[in-house]
Amino acid sequence: MNTIPLKSEAANELYASLSPELRTELANHERSVAVPAGTNLIKRGVLPDQLVIVNSGKVEITLDCAHESILLDCAMEGRVFGMRAVVSGELPEEDVTCQENCSVTLIPRDMFLKMVRQHPEMYFAIAKVLSHDLVMAQRLLKTSLRRPIRKTIAKPLGLPN
Amino acid sequence: MTMAYNFQIIEDCLKCTFREHRLFCDLSREALLRLQSIKATSVYPKGSLLCLEGQPPRGIFVLCTGRAKLSTTSSEGKSMILRIAEPGEVLGLTAVVSGTPYEATVETLEPSQANFISQAEFLRFIQEHPDVGLRVARQLTHNCKCAYGEIRSLGLSNSVPEKLAKLILQWAQHPLEFASKKPQETAIRVTLTQEEIAQLTGTSRETVSRVLGGFRKKGWLRVKGATWTIVNKQALENLVTT
Repeated sequence: MNTIPLKSEAANELYASLSPELRTELANHERSVAVPAGTNLIKRGVLPDQLVIVNSGKVEITLDCAHESILLDCAMEGRVFGMRAVVSGELPEEDVTCQENCSVTLIPRDMFLKMVRQHPEMYFAIAKVLSHDLVMAQRLLKTSLRRPIRKTIAKPLGLPN
Repeated sequence: MTMAYNFQIIEDCLKCTFREHRLFCDLSREALLRLQSIKATSVYPKGSLLCLEGQPPRGIFVLCTGRAKLSTTSSEGKSMILRIAEPGEVLGLTAVVSGTPYEATVETLEPSQANFISQAEFLRFIQEHPDVGLRVARQLTHNCKCAYGEIRSLGLSNSVPEKLAKLILQWAQHPLEFASKKPQETAIRVTLTQEEIAQLTGTSRETVSRVLGGFRKKGWLRVKGATWTIVNKQALENLVTT
């Protein structure tokens, strides 16, 4: 059960598109934890056991590119991670790391998939989360086409230009 | 089926022979019947604008036949191609699902058939048919994977020859059948102009022209109109370091 309540039940991008009944049902399986800065919430190449919802704190999403990291985005509360891997079973390509102490809600993958099978209308909420991921990638792609990608990544990561 | 622009117009999704090979279209009979009733089929000539970057979402386009370029324009007015959409792709999906403006301008590169579904109908379609939601999730997952691949590719390719070699090798995955006389040669059809190739690789038309000229001089590539023949694939592969 959720021990650190969300500011609002619909405060994250997944719950915002679910009915109150489904939110309540999901809440029975969720667990909220506090994690220190530097924690890897999603690790590239490792299938996550759970969906991760950021309740508070800042995280960064990075993509490995020949032993360098490309910063995809910095995200705050309300973002959901691990959805692509949980839904498709494919290993994540990105790392999601806490930049500061964060509070996150975890929903076990098996439980989530079981609920999706029982309530296929949840696919709409899933599509919304996936759309957000894609928009983030598309925006970086646009920026990268306008200026070399290494400059794009160098500034936020503090790497030399 | 009716003919137009040398291809058959597929008006009935239930009779479409490509359906099961496409990520989105392989739906249940029930969903296909519904799709049939909410879609508007149109054939577009080359250069048609299906949607505009920044425009509020009106609906999605399922590209049935033909190809389209997805481009963006910088604040300085410079146009850049994000990628080329192939048959079977759903265009405008993120905008319609998330209710945000279209992320890119979509323009047909050749005569194309597309099925348009309005935003309201499409959102209802997802809610009413679980398999549609699943297909949408798969399509978004696939698109995201492609976008990550593009980002990596941009981050890794440093030189224009490398970028162009990568692009040509990518196109070579769909060669023209019976076009090349020698078995070791690969013929491809390139409908993009040099300006469009420059927009796709983030360089200038002059540079594209110079680099392609270099490939031809070295005997790696033969260009005859829209038919390009890769004569020395290994040489192009050697250019791609990553």
